[in-house]
Amino acid sequence: MAEVQQGDGGGGGGRHKKKRAKKGSTHIDMTPMVDLAFLLLTFFILTTTMYKPSTLQLTFPVPQDEQQKKDLEKVNNALTVFLTKNDQILYYRDAFKPGETQLARTNFNKITELLVTENKSTFDQVQALKRRFNANEIDQIAYDTLKNNIEKRPEALFVIIKPDKDAKYRNMIDMVDEMDISGIGKFAVQDTIKPDEQALLDAEKLKF
Amino acid sequence: MAKIKMPRSSPAMDMTPLVDLGFLLVTFFMLTAQFRPEESVVVDIPSSRSQSAIPTENLMTVVVDSAGRVFWDFTDKKVRREVIKEMGNRYKIQFTPEQEQRFVSLGAMGMPMQQMPAYLSQEDAVGRHQMDLQSQGIPIDSTNNQLLEWIRVTQLIFSSGADGKNPIVALKGDGNVDYSVVNKVIKIFQSPTVKINRFKMITNLEESRMTASTSTK
Repeated sequence: MAEVQQGDGGGGGGRHKKKRAKKGSTHIDMTPMVDLAFLLLTFFILTTTMYKPSTLQLTFPVPQDEQQKKDLEKVNNALTVFLTKNDQILYYRDAFKPGETQLARTNFNKITELLVTENKSTFDQVQALKRRFNANEIDQIAYDTLKNNIEKRPEALFVIIKPDKDAKYRNMIDMVDEMDISGIGKFAVQDTIKPDEQALLDAEKLKF
Repeated sequence: MAKIKMPRSSPAMDMTPLVDLGFLLVTFFMLTAQFRPEESVVVDIPSSRSQSAIPTENLMTVVVDSAGRVFWDFTDKKVRREVIKEMGNRYKIQFTPEQEQRFVSLGAMGMPMQQMPAYLSQEDAVGRHQMDLQSQGIPIDSTNNQLLEWIRVTQLIFSSGADGKNPIVALKGDGNVDYSVVNKVIKIFQSPTVKINRFKMITNLEESRMTASTSTK
């Protein structure tokens, strides 16, 4: 066998030369690599979830002394809103008069309508301002300042939010959010429910 | 006249720049992506229309979960390390460097200080998760108000390193928790020793309501 091979190699001459490595091109086909790269890219983009919660800013009055509480009671054009169980809302207008004041009932589907009606003039002005802002007549800073001025006018509606012991945190967030929707700049979250109010509230709660 | 010979180009394109670009993008996305930190508590946060974004630094978060348990969290690792040291001092607990490191790398904390060393000694996430499930959260009773202590220490540490500024405070509550529990936390925020009267409430951006409210106009 070995001899045959030897003879073959010697006698073959030019036809069967030394086995030479095939001379490949120096260029590699990059297409699969491109495929891979973009596959990975697509995969990572699709599996990444954008997690970006937003925030609601809430400011509580700094000193809650007796004088301020009295001032708050005197405030006119006020709407006091109680948040209670089963996502129900009870409210009354202006100052609390024992014996006279009755609580009206609503819920979160109808509250926007109620607030907009109660706050009609301010709401309309804010909407007009919003249109001017969207038409690029005024810039962001001017918009914020003017909006703030309108919403803080003395005659604008003042909303006092009082979540009672059956309210959920979600109710409070929804209510604070409604303030922005209805263009109400003056509102306060309070946890003090007076005994008179509590009695009315308990009576109303028996009905649902 | 001699015909103009067009140089015959090969139909195979050079793909190298495309590969470069592809991998550059892959690398970029992988390096900029942040892992969501191991969460010791899951809360279903309520939604709102507010679009202001949440700050990513100098932020102290107080979490209230659906069972009313309270957790503390801070974004900056340097502050976290100092806070756990100082909390250890105040509650006479000596933490090992490994325990401190674990505290720094974790997210929201809802352990009473007495159980903290045992919690931070847990090597794996499963053990920690088990303890989280059994924990009562940070105590907020008036007799043992550890949350107040957490906030005070955070403010102290943060303001000493940041020219007397206070950290941004956020409240992250589960939508279904009773308001009375959240109110207790807010009362602690407002207590004379910490005086937090401005804080943010973390919410999800609600899109269904946005479209609903525009359609009613």
